[in-house]
Amino acid sequence: MKQSILDKLQILADAAKYDVSCASSGLDKRNTGNIGNSSAAGICHTWSYDGRCISLLKILMTNRCIYDCAYCISRASNDISRASFEPEEIAELTIEFYRRNYIEGLFLSSAIEVNPNHTMEKIIKTLHILRVDYQFTGYIHIKAIPGADPQLVKKAGELTDRMSVNIELPTKQSLKLLAPQKSINSLFSPMQQIKEGIKQYRYDSRHIKKVKSFVPAGQSTQMIIGATPDSDLSILHMTEKLYQRFKLKRVYFSAYVPVNKGTHLPALSTAPPLLREHRLYQADWLLRFYGFNADELLNFNQPNFDLDFDPKMMWALKNIEQFPMEINKVPYKELLRIPGIGVRSAQRIMKQRQVSMICYEDLKKMRIPLKRTRFFVTCNGRYYGEKSMEPNVIKKYLKPDPSYEQLTLYTIPQRATT
Amino acid sequence: MLVYLYDTTFDGLLTCVYVHYYRKRADKIYPFQNYQNHILDEAVPVKTSKEKADKVHRAIQKQISRLALKHVYHCYLSNHYEKDTYILKFLELGFKLRSKVDKLHTHPMVHPVVTLANRVSFEVHRFLGLLRFQEVGQGLYAKISPDHDISLLLAEHFVDRIKNEKFIIHDNIRNKAVIYNGKSWVISDFNFPGTLPISEKELLFQQLWKGYFDHIAIQERVNKKLQAQFVPYRYRQNLTEFKKRYPNARH
Ligand code: SF4
Repeated sequence: MKQSILDKLQILADAAKYDVSCASSGLDKRNTGNIGNSSAAGICHTWSYDGRCISLLKILMTNRCIYDCAYCISRASNDISRASFEPEEIAELTIEFYRRNYIEGLFLSSAIEVNPNHTMEKIIKTLHILRVDYQFTGYIHIKAIPGADPQLVKKAGELTDRMSVNIELPTKQSLKLLAPQKSINSLFSPMQQIKEGIKQYRYDSRHIKKVKSFVPAGQSTQMIIGATPDSDLSILHMTEKLYQRFKLKRVYFSAYVPVNKGTHLPALSTAPPLLREHRLYQADWLLRFYGFNADELLNFNQPNFDLDFDPKMMWALKNIEQFPMEINKVPYKELLRIPGIGVRSAQRIMKQRQVSMICYEDLKKMRIPLKRTRFFVTCNGRYYGEKSMEPNVIKKYLKPDPSYEQLTLYTIPQRATT
Repeated sequence: MLVYLYDTTFDGLLTCVYVHYYRKRADKIYPFQNYQNHILDEAVPVKTSKEKADKVHRAIQKQISRLALKHVYHCYLSNHYEKDTYILKFLELGFKLRSKVDKLHTHPMVHPVVTLANRVSFEVHRFLGLLRFQEVGQGLYAKISPDHDISLLLAEHFVDRIKNEKFIIHDNIRNKAVIYNGKSWVISDFNFPGTLPISEKELLFQQLWKGYFDHIAIQERVNKKLQAQFVPYRYRQNLTEFKKRYPNARH
């Protein structure tokens, strides 16, 4: 029997759901074609039952895979329902979903069907239909298929807004163990190519009038957390390296959901390490916006994050001699290092300092969580913490926050992420 | 207490501000239909004057700042009972301190206005996503029930995004709508008569979307409380993916 579009959609959404990137942002673009624009702040269209934002139609071209990566639900050796979309079908779904305002754009990924080039060509054909036939100027994110010809990667890059190569595991050894058909080089070389392409495009667009765009919203990647014994430190080191070496816009983390049995894999009953994933996102935030580096946050003696306290709090308790800081004096960079003070509050503080002193009450109005922050600041010379500044004493007052309260604080899309 | 009442338009509110300065200082301002009469109040209806409103409009922009004007306008769109009085107090301070007010986020005359304005902006941002069109005949129709009066602020975004479609965004709480005919848009009073003629094709795409929505969630991570923080129940009545009538729903 022929599969209906609904069957395919459900099978291929099921297969795509472990890819966590949801963002549709980093780019302000007006509608210069027939349909579609994007806003740099990113727009979430709804939230699924697991509380994750749905912004893009996230779908696989196919889940018929010739590879057999141990951690993957679509691996060749699994006995599961298989389906493939035609490029026309995906293009139509995208447009019809988009005009009803279900989605912000398309995130097209794929298993490797037949061979990498064949798969990449099908993705390009989809992009072509959308961009040329439908004149769609909305947001598109595609996966570059490891092992595909650089010519194809180039072509795809000219039609998409964002491209990603998923590295999945933070070390060579882990890759060898779980994804033996992918080498670290087959992942790094398209990343390198994309990085150079973007650089060239940025340069050209400053000097030449009409240039073909190339991945204007940048590239990203994803690592799975908890499928291997790799520590937070090695994950964070890899993250840092990826930002520096390939100028990535974003590194995503995905708590591993055990879908397969395997000697090198956690047992099927293992719960996905959601809190650990959350800590890594917090740390990633600290790397990108707060001026921290990986080695400040973790080291060989303490290679994993504390699940009870967030990474910034952990850092502050370790470096308690740098506190308390005077809210009315310390420079912006230092403000950012105070637990409970985020980028927005720090900016507000700087702004208000230009015209008037900040008192303790003001901090409350700025929605700074004083329960935590009071131990680390003075306001006009006055300290509002307890008598002792011993980390262990402070810890007792803080008592670990319930994980979900935290989680929501950080995932509210003030400016949806990129 | 002296209370000024206005006709719910922004010009009406600004006219009250004008009268406040050039005739008599008011203690409070309300739109007339919201006003809950108080025995000690002297309530005076103020007739809207475009000319006076324009003067105040320009004065805010020139003497205070564009940001202040934006905050005032967004605050005016909010659903708070005291919003207009907050605006009056904010402007009094603004005309004294000029653009400095923008930096006094926590000041008691500034904080309420900025907080309400932010709430409105946040809801606008939310509704760029949490709005669903249905294909109805030749065009698209969306029904929304926002907390604040935001339809006007949604118009530009959709006019750019789907510029070659015709559409209606209908605020069914305030009975008004943004109506776009493919070339230009207006905002006007609007009541939708009866049920919508939904085609087979429309129904198919609604089912596909619902099917997608149910399958994209990871069972091991289900967290409906978290979901409810992002999509409050009051918004769900108009969202295709939360409707129950589709046969493929698993939840
Ligand atoms: S190549 Fe991709 S789809 Fe195929 S098994 Fe590996 S991770 Fe899964």
